[in-house]
This record gives sequence, C-alpha cells and structure tokens, in this order.
Amino acid sequence: MTLLTKRFAQFTAVAFVAAAFALLGFAAAAPAQDAGSSDVANGKRVYLADGCFVCHGRAGQGGAMNYPAPAIAQVEMPVESFLAYLRNAPNDMPAYTTAVLSDKDATDIYAFLRSLSGRKPAKDFPLLNQ
Amino acid sequence: MSKHSNSPDAGRRNFLKGATLAGAAALATPVAANTQILDPSKESTKAAVPGPRLAAAETTPPSKDPISQTTSGGDFMVDVFKTLDIDYLAMNCASSFRGLHEAVLNHGGNSKPEILTCPHEEIAVHMAQGYAKIEGKPMAMICHGVVGLQHATMAMYNAWCDRVPVIVMGGNIIEANKRGTYPEWAHAAIDPAAIVRDFVKWDDQPTSLQHFAESTVRAYKIAMTPPMAPVMLSLDAELQENPISEAETLRIPKLSKVIPPQGDSAALAELAKMLVAADSPVIICDRMARTPAGMGRLVELAETLQCAVVDNGGRMNFPSRHPLNHSFRRIVIGQADVILALEVNDLFGSLNAFNDRIVRATRPNYKKDAKIVTLGSRDLYMKSNYQDFGRYQEADLTIAGDAEASLPTLIEQVKRLVDGGKKSAFEARGMKLAAAKLAMVERAKSDATIGWDASPITTARMCAEVYGQIKDEDWSLVGTSIRLSWPHRLWNIDKPYRWNGISGGFGVGHNLPASLGAALANKRHGRLTLAFGGDGDFMFVPSTLWTAAHHRIPMLYIVHNNRAYHQEYMYLQAMAARHGRGIANTEIGTTIKDPNVDYATVARGFGVYGEGPIVDPKDLGPALKRAIAMVKTGQPALVDVVCDPR
Repeated sequence: MTLLTKRFAQFTAVAFVAAAFALLGFAAAAPAQDAGSSDVANGKRVYLADGCFVCHGRAGQGGAMNYPAPAIAQVEMPVESFLAYLRNAPNDMPAYTTAVLSDKDATDIYAFLRSLSGRKPAKDFPLLNQ
Repeated sequence: MSKHSNSPDAGRRNFLKGATLAGAAALATPVAANTQILDPSKESTKAAVPGPRLAAAETTPPSKDPISQTTSGGDFMVDVFKTLDIDYLAMNCASSFRGLHEAVLNHGGNSKPEILTCPHEEIAVHMAQGYAKIEGKPMAMICHGVVGLQHATMAMYNAWCDRVPVIVMGGNIIEANKRGTYPEWAHAAIDPAAIVRDFVKWDDQPTSLQHFAESTVRAYKIAMTPPMAPVMLSLDAELQENPISEAETLRIPKLSKVIPPQGDSAALAELAKMLVAADSPVIICDRMARTPAGMGRLVELAETLQCAVVDNGGRMNFPSRHPLNHSFRRIVIGQADVILALEVNDLFGSLNAFNDRIVRATRPNYKKDAKIVTLGSRDLYMKSNYQDFGRYQEADLTIAGDAEASLPTLIEQVKRLVDGGKKSAFEARGMKLAAAKLAMVERAKSDATIGWDASPITTARMCAEVYGQIKDEDWSLVGTSIRLSWPHRLWNIDKPYRWNGISGGFGVGHNLPASLGAALANKRHGRLTLAFGGDGDFMFVPSTLWTAAHHRIPMLYIVHNNRAYHQEYMYLQAMAARHGRGIANTEIGTTIKDPNVDYATVARGFGVYGEGPIVDPKDLGPALKRAIAMVKTGQPALVDVVCDPR
C-alpha cells in the first residue's frame, strides 16, 4: 500500500467513525454500553487535565474549533466506538494514542461523560423559548 | 517639491540666495578656513569685532520669515472632507499631521469630520471598519505615516480581508531639507504606503492641494466601488501646514454616485435556468449584503425558489429564524445539485472538509455532479502576496459582479421561469426544509440545556441570558468571539443591522474597537449595540474603552472570559497529542491566568461602567440588566462573564 493509499484508507476509516459518531452520539440511535468498573472521578480528572473540556466543555456541552465540537454529555455510542473515535479522530480533533491516553483513562472519561446530566427538555427553560 | 509649500513666504528664495553666497565663499576661501580650524596653537588675544553681516543679523528683525498666516492647506483638505460627507476622523495625534489636525478643529469646527481620539492606530482603523459596516460609508483615520502606519497595518489587513472601505492617511515630510529634528527623519519615508500596498486598493502621495482634492475624491470612489477596500493617502506636512498659494485655481471635484457592477445578464439568465431546474439548489452567502436592501433581496430569491440558504455570516444576509436558513444544517450542501455562492470568500472551505493531521487532507462535502456557480465581485480586484483569497475552487459558471446589485435581475429571471407546476414543487421542498429547520432549532435549544447551571458559565447560557435582556430592544450585535452558532440558533436576528460580520483577517485586537465603531454608527439611530468579545482580544486593545468613555459611545461589551487564547490552546493540544507527549502542559503560553484579569476593574479605570467577574449564572441576568440601564443613558458598559471555553 502506498503512503497515499494508506492515508486514503485512514481517511475513509476516520470518516466512517465520524459518521458513526454523528449518528450515534448525536441521534441516540443505539443504546450505550456502560463502562463497567470505570472510575468516574478519575475520568473527570483526566477529562479536565488532558483538556477534553477545552473543546467539548466542562459539562460536555460541546463547543467549536474550526468545526463544531459535538456535545458529549451522556455520550450514547458504545464505549468501543468512543475509544475508536479517540484513537483516530477526524477534522480538528486530535487523535489520542495510547501513548498519551491509556485505554483505562479513556474508559474512565467515557464513564464520566455518561454520568453527566446531559440534555433536558428545552420547554422547561423560559430563556430558551423567547 | 511644488511651489505651494513656502509661497508666499520667501524662505526658499532666501535659502537659494544663501546657498549661492555660501558656495561662492567656499570656493573663494577654502584654505584659509581650514587653516583656522586646524591650527589650535594660534591664540586669539581678544574677541573679534563683529563684521557688518553679523551685526545686521543681531539687530534686524527677520522680516522675511513670516510668523503667521491666514490660510492653510489643511483648511482646504477639511473642505474636501466636508464635500465627501466624512463624519469622523479617528486618530492618535502626531506631529506629521499637526497642520490637518489644527484645521479640523479651527477651520472645520471639529465637525464633518469630528475627531475621535484613539490611544492606538489599530483602534482607529478597526473603529472605521466597524463603523462602515453599519453606516455604509467610510470613516477617515490619520496617523504618523511611518510609526503610526506600522501600528495600523494589521487593522488595515483585517479591513482588506473584510472588504470594507476605510480612508487611511499618514503624515509625512517629503522634502528632506524640510525635516528638522531627528524624529522627523525617523518618521519620514520616500514611500510610506509601501508597507500597506499589498492590502489597500489604491494609494497616492499628493504633491499639491489640487492633487490632494482629486486623489481624495478618487480614493473615496475606489474604496466604495465593490469589491470595497481600504485606501491610503500620504499627506506632506508642508502641504497641510503652509498657506494656500493657488486658492483661485483650486477646485474640489464632484463625487459621482458609485454604481456597483452587475453580473452579465445572459449569465444571470443561465443561472436562473439552472436554479429553477434544480431539485435541491442551495445558496451559500458570505459578504453579500452590502446595504440594508441586500437581505430582502436574498430572502426574495430564496423564497421564490424555496431553497436552503447557508449563511457564512460575513454580513447580515439572511434572517436567522427564516425556515430556509440552514446555516447550521450544512448537510444541505452535500445534498445539493446546484450550489450558488454569493460573495463567498473561501468557497473551497465551504465545500470541503479539512483534516488537520500530519498529512493535511481535504475531502469534498458536495456531490460530484453538483453544479457550482459563483456570483461575486472578488475576482474583479485581487492581489497576490497575502493569500486571503483561499484555495481555488472549481466552478461551472463564474459570474463577476456585485451579488447584491445582480440579485434583482436574477430574481426577475427566476420568476419568469417558475410556472404553476414548479411553484407547487418548490412549496413542497420549502415545507420539508422548514420542518428540518424547526428540528435543528429544537435540537439547539436542547443542547443549550447541558451544563445550564454550571460555573464557569456555558456559552449557551450566556447567550440565552443576554437575549432575555435585549430581545425587546432595538438591538444590534456587532461583534463576537464565540462564533455565530449560539446567537444565530437561539436569537431572532431579523433586521439588516442586527449583525455586521466578523474581522476578515482574524487579526486579534479587532473585536473591541470594531464593535465600538459600529456602536458609534448605531448611536445616531438609537439602537442598543452589544458585542461579545474574547478576553484575549481585549488584552490587545483595552484602551479602546477610554475612547468609548471619552466620546460617550453607548455599547454593551460582554467579555467572554475563558481565560485563554482559546483557539491556540486547542491547536497546541493537537500538537501535543500528535507528538505523543505533554498534553497536560498545553496551558503554558496559551492561557490568561495567574493572575486572572479583572476586566470590570480595568473598565472602571478607563471610566467605563463595569460588572463582574460573573461566575454564577444566576448573577448574570441582573448584571446585564444593570449594564443595559447604563448603556441606555448613553454610556458604554462592560460585563465580564467567566465562561467555559466556547
């Protein structure tokens, strides 16, 4: 495989994962998988220390870099998809390899995100209905 | 140098006479003179008796060196500005334009133009940029032609990228022999505009008052002809300061109305056919609405076609709550079979996704067989050095012409082609788009609830709180450091002055002064001006607040204080992740903390009302209410909101 075709293959894989993230993370199309014995407190610590909040917000509300950074509170994709996304993220999102983020820490982040309160019905917020 | 500068005084003639005498003396007595200097052993026993010339110089008043004058070139320059209806002259005072400065005050009565005192030239140009986008005409600014212009350059580049007219002037002393102290040498140049020539549309250095009049009117016309851009005039100090010698022959040329170029009518007819025949046409717009008429025209075109509009936000192009506004549903671009780009600067960026990886790659977001048409004025004037034109995007039809000016013809052509069958198909398409838009808005509201009570405050909560306070006012949002997504998804942005676009060149230090310039324009219309500004941007030009207080320009400035140069923070994280090391170190050099800046206190120091830092979202509404009450009295106010990053 040439470097170019390898890159294209990586690119396609990233695009696929991105699409999966968009569908699963945003549209809540599939049930989430709990992270078992994960450590929510450690997940929060790593989420803040490694700067995930910089793009996605401390409450996982999302944000923006050059492209929108999605809301990830109560992330709804399976943990395996979440880890795959972290390892080979598209667009602005850095790819976090195991050299900088272990599977354990990443799984703990997942657990932390699952623990966040997430979205609420907007009709209950008068300021959002002006 | 021209004859005007010293006439009618005889300084130059005296100089020539003196030069002749000195030259003759030098030829006659060189050896004796050198001997006197080089022979220190020769003592003088008594003081020399003054010769007749020295005695005369000490006892005769300098009758040929006039000490006052009744006219000045600066007066004439002010008269030229008045014919152009230039309201303001933004400046930081400098000796190289002291002649014009004085003339504005005492000949012009400090009116048309009125001086705006700015603590930095970058502030002056950015004020002009923000002003022009609301008022629809340029403001003038003047600076030292060397060191002041060096300060002004980044702001001029922002205005250039933003396609905004600004009349920039710089003082200079052209004739070397007229420069006095060393600073005048350090502040003089052969070609002052050389430093900005890559990002002004035109420049000149007039050498007579008639030349000035013609060049200033020309500069105004060029700046205002789409694609609009800054222009630069270098003004000789002597031209400003010295008496007018040719008053009887001076004439200020008439400024003719600028008619923007329309696209070719045959090409517009072809475009109309493509749009009407399309199943899913999409319009992308950026710096399209030049005047208040622009938004209405685009609404008419979109409603006639019932097609989606994606607004990149360079101007107030399309109402945020319109069912056809799909700016935050860009999936429509990927579904389009015809894409019409109106005054889009970076069309490649709008149509392609970019991966910021080791190998920087892009991929198209549009269908392979989609027809792409561009309509805009950018191709009519470009320069090559700075790369603000973006990557080349292939298109099927490129129509050179001002989009807003071309829309009436295009709309007429489209309407001619829409028969009954088409109309019902278009209505069905519009209903689907309206439903999708509604779902997007509901999703945005739902997203906004995440972290609603969090501290630091979420950007969504901040925007919701602000809108709660302004929605019943005649408001105008003129700056943002938080992108467009929250205000544009949550607010009803429905009038031409509700929004005026972004910096252009993304040069930091734009938001605060440009917002103030826009606020100045809004002041006469009685609008409530507000802006969101980043803390990093604020730190470049905090003294803008002094100008706001001094000139009593009402503006609500909300500092979105995330205590970082946030975009760079994210970029550095990407680098650290790529290199597999030190992600946790990336706040070094990117954050603005230790100490945290108290922006409300800074504001008060400049004479501006300050609220904050607000860290609890429950405190934000009342703080905004108090600040808005202050703005309504005609004063600026600042609210420092400690926020989550974006």
